[in-house]
Amino acid sequence: MYEFGDVLRVRGVCREYGRGESLVRAVDEVDMEVPEGQMLAVMGPSGCGKSTLLHLLGGLERPTDGEVWLAGRRIDTLSERALARLRRGSVGFVFQAFHLVEELSAAENVELPALLAGCSARAARHRAAVLLERVGLADRARHLPSELSGGQRQRVAIARALANEPLVLLADEPTGNLDTAATLDVLRLFEDLRCAGQTLVIVTHDERVAAIADRLVSMRDGMFVDDIRLAGSTTGRLDGLIGLEG
Amino acid sequence: MGRILLVFRLVSADMRRHPAQVAMLLVAITAATATLALGLSMHGATDALYRQTREATAGPDVVALSPGTDRTTITALESLEHAPGVVAHSGPYRQFYTKLTARGSTASAVVQGADVTPGPVDRPLVTSGSWVRPGGAVVERGFATALDAGLGDHITVAGRSFPIVGIAVTAAHEVYPWAPMIGPGGGPSDGGGLVWLAERDTRALESTDFPVTSFIYLKLRDPDTARELRLRNPAIAPAMDPAFADTWVNFRAWQHIAEQDSVILRNSQPILVIGSWLLSFLAVAGVAALAAGRAAKQTRRVGLLKAVGATPGLIAAVLLAEYLTLALLADALGLTIARLVEPAVINPSGSLITTATGPTGGTVAVTTVVALAVAALTTLGPTLRALRSGTISALTDPAHRPQRRAWLTRLSALLPTPLLLGLRLIARRPGRAVLHGCNITTTLIAITALLMIYAQPVTGYPGSPMANDQRTAQERHLLLAVTVVVIALAIVNTITITWTTALEARPTMAIARTLGATPGQITAGLSTAQLVPTLPGAITGIPLGLILVYSPGKVTMPPAWWLLGAALAAVLATAVLTAIPARIAVRRSVAQTLSAESA
Repeated sequence: MYEFGDVLRVRGVCREYGRGESLVRAVDEVDMEVPEGQMLAVMGPSGCGKSTLLHLLGGLERPTDGEVWLAGRRIDTLSERALARLRRGSVGFVFQAFHLVEELSAAENVELPALLAGCSARAARHRAAVLLERVGLADRARHLPSELSGGQRQRVAIARALANEPLVLLADEPTGNLDTAATLDVLRLFEDLRCAGQTLVIVTHDERVAAIADRLVSMRDGMFVDDIRLAGSTTGRLDGLIGLEG
Repeated sequence: MGRILLVFRLVSADMRRHPAQVAMLLVAITAATATLALGLSMHGATDALYRQTREATAGPDVVALSPGTDRTTITALESLEHAPGVVAHSGPYRQFYTKLTARGSTASAVVQGADVTPGPVDRPLVTSGSWVRPGGAVVERGFATALDAGLGDHITVAGRSFPIVGIAVTAAHEVYPWAPMIGPGGGPSDGGGLVWLAERDTRALESTDFPVTSFIYLKLRDPDTARELRLRNPAIAPAMDPAFADTWVNFRAWQHIAEQDSVILRNSQPILVIGSWLLSFLAVAGVAALAAGRAAKQTRRVGLLKAVGATPGLIAAVLLAEYLTLALLADALGLTIARLVEPAVINPSGSLITTATGPTGGTVAVTTVVALAVAALTTLGPTLRALRSGTISALTDPAHRPQRRAWLTRLSALLPTPLLLGLRLIARRPGRAVLHGCNITTTLIAITALLMIYAQPVTGYPGSPMANDQRTAQERHLLLAVTVVVIALAIVNTITITWTTALEARPTMAIARTLGATPGQITAGLSTAQLVPTLPGAITGIPLGLILVYSPGKVTMPPAWWLLGAALAAVLATAVLTAIPARIAVRRSVAQTLSAESA
């Protein structure tokens, strides 16, 4: 079983697409560690390889070269089946486009990971109710995604990502489709999660998101160009940071 | 002109981009129209062939047959030469009931003593070789085909071997295997083929104990009065003339021969017409699945066309023209296939001439309407939906939002993951599940009908194993052919439905994979979505197939294990067929799918 240490470790990871003249190196020789409980923000311009890196960390893609370790276990050599099982218990994803199942209600979307993990229907339902309460959407449990605002959809997606109590939550531009108020809601949620000791890796363009992180990594052309450990906690100053105070 | 050219360009470009879909659409509609054209061509087909053969061979209007060769019999038959309305005759001739051996097979036959120069009535048409000559035999074409005998082969009759010098057709006898028309002593016939020998070569038969029937061919002034001849003539109505009190003359009018010839096709037309209904339904199911699978792409295409200023009329023309053009092409292909296959189907014995066959104007009209209806039925809905959608929503939204079935979602939560995913896929598109269920029902109807036909005992002809019921053989062959095509289309449909389901559910399945569903579970889920409707589909198809073939009277039911085996085979085949496209579908990278979805 995994014990305290680096939740994620990456060594010399490369991800290439295409071949010959059309070869693109989306991630180029990246090394990094993410300790447990850390909130890491990855920033950079579009096309710099942020999302690809996130997919590599979550086992959605395999590196062309290098190693990816999750919870002390090397995952880049695992079979698709083993990766799926690993994701089920250890990784939660949040996407810019929410990626909720349109025909399922908010509660049913949140129940889904638990059901896939083999939980009973009752346990999954209970867990979904608790998580929706936590993200402030208990009264929207029966609503379909199309009946929710963008911010509410993203909060449902975060609740779903937390359904199996993952070791790490990977978020890809989680506020990219949200207005300022909805962004604030989501940032509060992330901050709560960080305070609760949840490990988070957030890929973003949004400096307000980066401002609440413990650490900020900048990427350019597939490589890390900067790695800053942000001093002190921003807790309690979130509204001020994002310019919504009074 | 410019608009037509534009429509043509857009349609041809789309066809080039989707060759597999074009092929599938063509195959489905072609199968349906070919079968329908064949089925419709059955009506009156034998009658037409008989009339052609009668004309080409100077066929008799009446054949009068009487058992025996005694003087009274011959006198009775000869008296018919001068009967009112008779304008020509040939004969009397004799036919001997015997056994014949050719290429190692023994068969019942009637050997007719023939003039080396045929008389004015019944001049058999020699289709290969030459007419009889002393020492050489001519075999009726249907019989030769059944014997697999040809020119140069030898037949043995009454211990004497004759080379086959000719193959011929005639309208004076009923088609193989009913050539004897009446049996020995005027009794019922056991069936058999027809062979002509020169009169002097039949002497070997005279010396032995072979039953004989004498007969005469008559030509009437008014062929339509052939059936009435019996009433007018004493030889055929002995009660009217005491001189023929002991003579029994059997009378065959040409209309009777034509009717008997058509018996062989009596069940062929329903098999083909009902088969064409089943195939048309499968074509509708297949094309509908195809159209639904393309709906999202088509809607985006509509959005693009609207964005660049295309009018609704032009867009409708682009969307409908492709399917309607393909439907017309498939119709033409189907009619061509029917034209090529028709001679073998309408003339299974080969005993008649098959020159002027082919679909009639009515048949062409019906198949064209069916082909266009298949295309229109399946594309009108998606086309109208696409036209109604706004430009922006057409460019961004899925064509047809998935449906929600809350009770099915709740039920699936209690089940293992593959069933959970499968049921939720069904809940998204219940119509597609019903379509697949009907696809299986249609297939099982055809298979059950085939098993039912094969379960019936063959009513054979003693001594003619190769003639064992030609009519049953014809029905079996046709039903087998229809069933094979039905199964082939059902296979294509199952793969298409699974593939379109997989394509459409790709984003949802990718989400499930990010949440921890394994590729195996996704594959099993996609298969389950097809397997769940397969079972009720199969169970419904079996009784419907039995009802379709059942006729009052003595019917032998197929063993229950045959039917259960068919249902089980349908389920297993569906599992295998769906696993392949499902497996291919899950190979695509999750990240790639989600990125495409977000774009």
